[in-house]
Amino acid sequence: MIITIPTVTSGEKSFVSDRFGRCNFFYVYDTETKLGKVYTNIHKDGQGGVGVKASEFVINQKTDVLITPRVGSKSIDIIRDANVKIYEATNEIVKTNIERFLNNELKEL
Amino acid sequence: MQIAVLSGKGGTGKTLLSVNLSYLAKNSIYVDCDVEEPNGLLYYKIPDIETDDVLTLYPVIDHDVCDGCQKCTDFCKFNALAFILGKVRVFKELCHSCGGCSLVCPLNAITEKEKVLGSVKHGFYEDTEVYSGEMKIGEESGVSIIKELLNRVSNTDKTVFIDSPPGNGCSVMESISQADYCILVAEPSIFGLHNLNMVYELTRKFNKKIGLVINKASNDSIIYDYAKEKQIEILAQIPMDLELGEMNSNGEIVAKNDKFRPIFESILNKIDEEVQL
Repeated sequence: MIITIPTVTSGEKSFVSDRFGRCNFFYVYDTETKLGKVYTNIHKDGQGGVGVKASEFVINQKTDVLITPRVGSKSIDIIRDANVKIYEATNEIVKTNIERFLNNELKEL
Repeated sequence: MQIAVLSGKGGTGKTLLSVNLSYLAKNSIYVDCDVEEPNGLLYYKIPDIETDDVLTLYPVIDHDVCDGCQKCTDFCKFNALAFILGKVRVFKELCHSCGGCSLVCPLNAITEKEKVLGSVKHGFYEDTEVYSGEMKIGEESGVSIIKELLNRVSNTDKTVFIDSPPGNGCSVMESISQADYCILVAEPSIFGLHNLNMVYELTRKFNKKIGLVINKASNDSIIYDYAKEKQIEILAQIPMDLELGEMNSNGEIVAKNDKFRPIFESILNKIDEEVQL
């Protein structure tokens, strides 16, 4: 299963970003290999429609689960259309959020 | 002759000024370019106003022809196109109708279709000609409506008063693009000063003649000091006045009242000295 999380700094010790479309990085974690990859959000300073681009990225990573504190209305439609499940992040670091998700401790948005 | 009224911050008195100045000026047109929330017609009450739709173009993808090269999604500055699950998806509200996607498509899989973006209203209130633009709810850019409004008044010999949107973005730049003179309106607060500075810099970039009106003037000299420092002419200081505020919030044209008319007359006279109305 692929879990994608918008993050403030790079890596699993980062806090989850408050913003989805304009986050600094994405952390993409594969539960089978237990490996995470960091991607820079190249669209974060775009003039508009950055949520659309972030959603495009999430879906094209073959994400199964997105963990984020919130998502905009356009993004939510795109992401749900692609059958990606969205879970509400806590204000803890990325690693803790992944553990909590795997222990069924996160709420679905 | 075009006079644009702008402020940066919302709620400082753009509509108050542009409505009352256009009402007093002879042979004038009022144009409400604040298409996201036009409220000039609350003052210029015109029954049976004439309304025309404003159309814009948006791309439609022929998925049978598209091979997913993503040249269009890379090209779009406004991210109105996204490549999702092997298909290009269009987000109409984000589209600025530049037509670039259909030009870069190597397979001609993109055609442009028309959609209704909003409307332009036109009528007369006594001797004043009135135009007002209104964007449809859910749309994100009203620039095309402002272009249409200005297009309609481009060949007139009347004096045009433009009620600009707040801020200093695309739609404000569009509404002052043809202006011969800009009236900046500011209220004495830190926020007011900050946003005045933004529009001041914008008018400098566009090389416009400007004058300043301080609305809701109080003992606070924050805007006055700024105008002195930048050597901006102060056209008027409209005092914080309960009666004026009440009349204005009830949708009355305050320049009809003998007590307030002189304020607006003196502003018109000062602008006349600068640009000959």
